[in-house]
Amino acid sequence: MPGIDESLLEAMRLPGARGASLVDWISGLALGAVGEAPGGDWEATAAETAELGRHVAESGSLAAGGPGGGGAEPGKEPPVEDLIATTGDAYHLLRFVSTPFDSTVFLHLWLDRNDGNLALARIRLAEMADRLVLG
Amino acid sequence: MTRVTTTWTADALAALAAEGATGALSGERGIVYLKAGRVVHVESAFAPDLGALLTRSGAVPPDGWWEAVDRGGTQHRVGHRLVDSGRLAAGALEVCHLGALFDAAYFVLAHDTRAQRFRPGAVHWLGAVRSVPVDVVVRESGRRRALLDRIWPDPAVDTLPLTRVPGTGSAALPARRSRILTQVDGVRTAAQIASALACRTYHTLVELRRLAADGLVRTAVPTAPVPPPGPEPPGVVWDDPDTALLRRLRDALEAL
Repeated sequence: MPGIDESLLEAMRLPGARGASLVDWISGLALGAVGEAPGGDWEATAAETAELGRHVAESGSLAAGGPGGGGAEPGKEPPVEDLIATTGDAYHLLRFVSTPFDSTVFLHLWLDRNDGNLALARIRLAEMADRLVLG
Repeated sequence: MTRVTTTWTADALAALAAEGATGALSGERGIVYLKAGRVVHVESAFAPDLGALLTRSGAVPPDGWWEAVDRGGTQHRVGHRLVDSGRLAAGALEVCHLGALFDAAYFVLAHDTRAQRFRPGAVHWLGAVRSVPVDVVVRESGRRRALLDRIWPDPAVDTLPLTRVPGTGSAALPARRSRILTQVDGVRTAAQIASALACRTYHTLVELRRLAADGLVRTAVPTAPVPPPGPEPPGVVWDDPDTALLRRLRDALEAL
């Protein structure tokens, strides 16, 4: 069963991966990080992405869902599964991790835009998030 | 040998980290366990411990937790026992453990309190899960304090009984904040609300300060009672005794 470091190292094996971290989106703490830090400082990156993740996780509009809503897992917290930010040369993928105890964390993957495959990374990161807490 | 100290907890930890020390440093608000100069565990009465977070949330049944404590406690392998018995994934243990560690560390370190004694060689029964450098824990605790003050600069919200502001609703609040608001009853403090919800206390403080900033929650008792007129010089506060001094005094008396 993977721990935090094993999960992050697995994420780094995805094509185009530059850096990966596990971040608490309420406190802004990086619980673990491997590879390069966007901006050069994991602590600063974690604090900034946490603020972004929190706004999305707490968004009433995004969580509202469509007609007949609720999605596959109604009541799941946070209601948002992931978040993608695209820059000129990179993708940032934030995947929220659901745990059966009190935690507020997401996996953050920094992906090179030329070498990375966003669709593949999205699927793999979701699997890694599940394995991290469910084994 | 127990070493008695009178330095700030953060300074004492830095010195122990430089020595690569293993043992337990007690402060006024909790205990920090070190292994080879790195933080492996922190306990504070203000923060729920790993067992409370896991069992009260239903992540691990209480029987399973106590079985792990019974079987793994004497070998300091409770955490590993939970994973080996299939009750908890390795990553889940690490995430919950780090959550509890930094939560308790906030109370031990965020406010300048004195370290009291260091027990060299002391090991916690949970056993090593993940270790964190001392400077990271100290820096994070300071950052957390600054974050609370940016949200709503009233530390009284963290310690006094809280009450809902009459005539305010709770419409459109995020799920966590709304759940915490329902526990505000005019009697309970932030730490008691965190305990009732099996939530980390610091994360509860963040939500309560946001609720206070939104005008939905305030402290239930006046924070600064007007002192009666008298010979007392203004500014002297007697309701917060120097517990470190009292403990040193007690220790000295016991040593006679």
